[in-house]
Amino acid sequence: MILYLGRRLLGVLGVLLAIAAVTFTIFYVLPSDPAAAACGKACSDERLEAIRANMGLDAPLWRQFADFVTGIFTGRTMGTGQYALHCDFPCLGYSYENSEGVWDLLVDRLPVSASLAAGAAVLWLALGLTAGVTAALRKDTLTDRALMVGAVAAASLPVYFTSVLLIYGLIRLTGLLPYPQYVPLTSDPLSWASNLLLPWLALAVLYAAMYARQSRGAMIESMAEPYIRTARAKGLPRRTVVVKHGLRAGMTPILTIFGMDLGGLLAGAVITESLFGLPGVGRLFYGALTTGDQPVILGVTLLAAGFIVVANLAVDLLYAVVDPRVRY
Amino acid sequence: MTTTTTPPPPVHAGGGAWRAVRAEIRRRTSLKVSLAVVALFVLMTAAAPLIASLGGWGPEEFDKSAVDPYLGGLPIGPLGGVSAEHWLGVEPITGRDLFARVVHGAQVSLLIAFAATAIVVLAGVTAGIAAGYFGGRTDTALSRLMDLTMSFPSLIFMIAMMSVARDADRTLLMILVIGLFGWPGVARVVRGQTLSLKHREYVDAARVGGSGPWRILARDILPGVAGPVIAYTTLMVPGMIATEAALSYLGVGVRPPTPSWGQMIAESVAYYDTDPMYFLVPSVCLFLTVLAFTLLGDALRDVLDPRGSRT
Amino acid sequence: MNKRTRTLAIALVSTLSLGLAACSTGSSGGKTGGPERKNPAAANAGAVIGGTPQKGGTLTVLSNQDFTHLDPARNWVMPDMDFGTRLLYRTLVTYKAAPGADGSELVPDLAEDLGTPSNGAKTWTFRLKAGLKYEDGTPVTAQDIKHNVERSFSPDLPGGPDYAARYLAGAEGYQGPARGKHLDSVKTPDARTIVFELHKPFAEFPFAATLPTFAPVPPAQDKGAQYDNRPFSSGPYKIESYARDKQMVLVRNTHWDPASDSVRKAYPDRIVVTMGLKGNQIDDRLVASAAGDSSAVAWSTLRPESISKVLTKADVKARLLAESSSCTEMLQMHTGRAPFDDLKVRQAVQWALDREAIVTAAGGPAVTDAAGAAMPGSLFTGGKQPDTLGIPLAGDPEKARQLLKEAGKADGLSTSLTVNINDKAIGEAVQQSLGKAGIKVTIETVDPSAFYDTIGDTKNRTDLVYTGWCPDFPSGTTFLPFVFDGRFVKEKGNSGNHSLFKDDATMKRMDEIAAMTDGDAANKAWQELDGQILAKAPVAPGAMKRRALLVGTNVAGAYGHTSWSGQLDYATVGLKDPSKSAN
Repeated sequence: MILYLGRRLLGVLGVLLAIAAVTFTIFYVLPSDPAAAACGKACSDERLEAIRANMGLDAPLWRQFADFVTGIFTGRTMGTGQYALHCDFPCLGYSYENSEGVWDLLVDRLPVSASLAAGAAVLWLALGLTAGVTAALRKDTLTDRALMVGAVAAASLPVYFTSVLLIYGLIRLTGLLPYPQYVPLTSDPLSWASNLLLPWLALAVLYAAMYARQSRGAMIESMAEPYIRTARAKGLPRRTVVVKHGLRAGMTPILTIFGMDLGGLLAGAVITESLFGLPGVGRLFYGALTTGDQPVILGVTLLAAGFIVVANLAVDLLYAVVDPRVRY
Repeated sequence: MTTTTTPPPPVHAGGGAWRAVRAEIRRRTSLKVSLAVVALFVLMTAAAPLIASLGGWGPEEFDKSAVDPYLGGLPIGPLGGVSAEHWLGVEPITGRDLFARVVHGAQVSLLIAFAATAIVVLAGVTAGIAAGYFGGRTDTALSRLMDLTMSFPSLIFMIAMMSVARDADRTLLMILVIGLFGWPGVARVVRGQTLSLKHREYVDAARVGGSGPWRILARDILPGVAGPVIAYTTLMVPGMIATEAALSYLGVGVRPPTPSWGQMIAESVAYYDTDPMYFLVPSVCLFLTVLAFTLLGDALRDVLDPRGSRT
Repeated sequence: MNKRTRTLAIALVSTLSLGLAACSTGSSGGKTGGPERKNPAAANAGAVIGGTPQKGGTLTVLSNQDFTHLDPARNWVMPDMDFGTRLLYRTLVTYKAAPGADGSELVPDLAEDLGTPSNGAKTWTFRLKAGLKYEDGTPVTAQDIKHNVERSFSPDLPGGPDYAARYLAGAEGYQGPARGKHLDSVKTPDARTIVFELHKPFAEFPFAATLPTFAPVPPAQDKGAQYDNRPFSSGPYKIESYARDKQMVLVRNTHWDPASDSVRKAYPDRIVVTMGLKGNQIDDRLVASAAGDSSAVAWSTLRPESISKVLTKADVKARLLAESSSCTEMLQMHTGRAPFDDLKVRQAVQWALDREAIVTAAGGPAVTDAAGAAMPGSLFTGGKQPDTLGIPLAGDPEKARQLLKEAGKADGLSTSLTVNINDKAIGEAVQQSLGKAGIKVTIETVDPSAFYDTIGDTKNRTDLVYTGWCPDFPSGTTFLPFVFDGRFVKEKGNSGNHSLFKDDATMKRMDEIAAMTDGDAANKAWQELDGQILAKAPVAPGAMKRRALLVGTNVAGAYGHTSWSGQLDYATVGLKDPSKSAN
């Protein structure tokens, strides 16, 4: 088990390094020059050169990449004399736009994206699994049909559409909810939830529909397994059979998808955050992209990749808990 | 490549499978409807200029008389300027004909989705079969590559790559970029299927009978994986359409004035209350297409891949 | 396309909408798009919305973005410059707080007067007022102003105005104070006197002294690039908290002395800037102006899709500011290579351009004016641009074709255009109107960050570029030489002169005007030169946007300031009833 974990963690590092290298290369061939962008409207050649040197952009690509990677662990110092900035481990550099540490920016934005993802996940799991299990247990009845038609339709709705519908219905027409504006959980939990409810719903509708479809299939399959018949024959209450035996076995494929979805979402739902104007990682990324803020782009990409590989790892480990047949 | 509409009849999955598909279509009304919708949009894709010309307007042609500059360029008339002239109304500001744009947009959106799907299927099937059949180092290398590709935050990467390339052909680039991140899914399905087929008796028999590996792959393995791949592919198309829409929505999609559904939705979202028609037209098209492909894919999977080889 | 059915359909639609307008109450007139209608938003131009404010309360600013830079050495974006210099730091000289043309009048700020020139306007001396203090009570000194001027040279702090670099003597190669080197051409004989020595005469130096470069930064507080996140206040407010891209809270700077300040009124107790909101949600909130939003003002300009929601309601329309941005946007042609090295081809573009379509694409006449000259209206006598070329607003494709024919391009030509992604609609309007004259245009859209960089690469850029220029202060000196002097053209990083216009007669005339000592004569000369340049057709004037800003029902003292591109003057804005604002 320990050996397995060690090997997997090593793999995670390798993947992250590869992703960092690819991202670095992509943005190195970018035609735009961050130094020129920083310099502003009127910029003399020598000033441009000075800024470029200051940003470390005059070094060759491999050198810049090596500096970046070693900098993560050993920290880096950038700038001249009195204006030098030093950042400690884990140093992902400084934003070209506002000179804030990339790591600090990520730490600052992550709670927003995490709140968005966590709330939406709770909603969609509750809605999706309930609908899926209900439909599976009443297979081929009218309830099943209605639920599945609803799920297919909801899964096909573009997220822009759901969002706009929710904004119109819950804010403009009825005034039930405020225009979303992020309030930290720690400062006012009620206001946190009421501001995020709309984006949660918008995301949850989409995902709940997919989970309902998935869990229905998985549930039907697992309820047909021989051991369920055995459990029933033993005279166990139906509830116990469904929850302890059927659902537990059917969870494995759902868990895989859930891990991937959550991992992806934690690193920012770019479209949802931009639709609702939430200052999360996704919007940080999008903003950095339009301003050509490479250190931030690289930072977010690494964070997102990190979440995905860690989520995959977590899912694999959780298999052992959910499905007793899996051993490492 | 149009795998979805005219799939080659697989030998081993059997002519029976296709009979089953046809029976299924006859049985379910929803399937008939979704087939009709898919056919309609495919037709739109194929004959976009022809259909759009029925309305009398080009997709890039301004109609200043249809919008009111003093109200921020809002269409004149009810329902976003619906008239005998403009069947679905006009775009605010420019007065471009929505019918012409949505039809041409279908062409762009679906072309990108289909082409990206084709790349994904081609690459995925090749990699999957190679990994499954040859095993050993090939399998290890390909599986690692699949794991690596799947670890990339794909949407973030697609946005980044699209924003980097400025002068390139955006449509082609979008196809390649979307395709790049899609193939491991197919490859995994195919690899699993190939592994299970590899030691079937008829494959062994062919091997003993002196068939070379290429012949076995082409004659025995490929038809065997065709069923699940077709089902999986059909279910993948909606995702591709949605991805194109997302990229265009985020402003890294097609180049103006080319219309695509994503681009149209992106620009119309803000008009949802002042000009609902403008927003509804592309949204409903996107919704219907995605829905139709999902229903179709579901049915195909039920018939062709009942055990669900998807992970 | 049948022309008759089309006319019929239009007539039908017009009748329908007329009927519709007649039914809906409160709608102002028909929507038939008649030829002459009054600009619905210009009514507020030059007026103050909401009367005189009361002291106190919290003013909320709703923004769709973060500030680019608030560090005074780096702040060179018009709306941000207004915010910084009106609230957080004072400059040697500043603009009067008044709506309309009075806003271009200079008044002393940190200095006792507008500066004393000597040595033929090559030396400028300013004397600071007594008793000026920072937010911690320490005195503002002349050395601090010198320090910030020096900072603006540092490669660690890019982005700021370059007037200091352009005029100060002995500044070549200077890299800022970080390594202990100082500029000898800025002298501080005592704590209240600062002397600037220039390498050439600059009669308009007091205008330049309004720029944030000439605000004080105490060396003890200077944290290099991170000063951007917490500028040290010498103005009426100080930063309580600043979470990038989320929220900034300003509270009163108790050490600021109103008696020393003739400009800033500092009515609200607190100013809260909420950032990163969706543009159209800001508009919707301010249109509704519900409880919390009644004390709010918009930072971002009104979105085009929201214009109809504002103009159709008289009470909302009354809360819309639409001061001209004084930036002329032009279609600039690469005069250095074929086909635009040919005057006839360039004139064809001028004639083909449909400025009506551009105005519509930029939000319509309510928030945009068609441009008839290169310099903005504020630089012309009477405050209005003349119609120099006499081309119809909608263009004349026939005449354009004729000109192309004369140039030997009867079959038309193909070219490409670079526009900022935010001006995509304008790009499409240009594409459409040139297309009618036989000029096929491919559009390249570029993100704002990469835009100037892309069009500044004169070798690889497209033939056509749509971009504007804003004067840094109300004088032709900050416009025509920047846009049309061929000696400033650089192969890479080119800025301003995007037509690469190199005309000896023009350059000679510019030098003559720059040497004039009589301000009025110089202004007149610039205006004449503007027309002469347009006749040579390096550019086709496009449009001048207005800064359309909505304010809440409880907001008072609000007007767009002409010297800061029509940005709300934060020196005077406040609340009607402070008790109604949120805390």
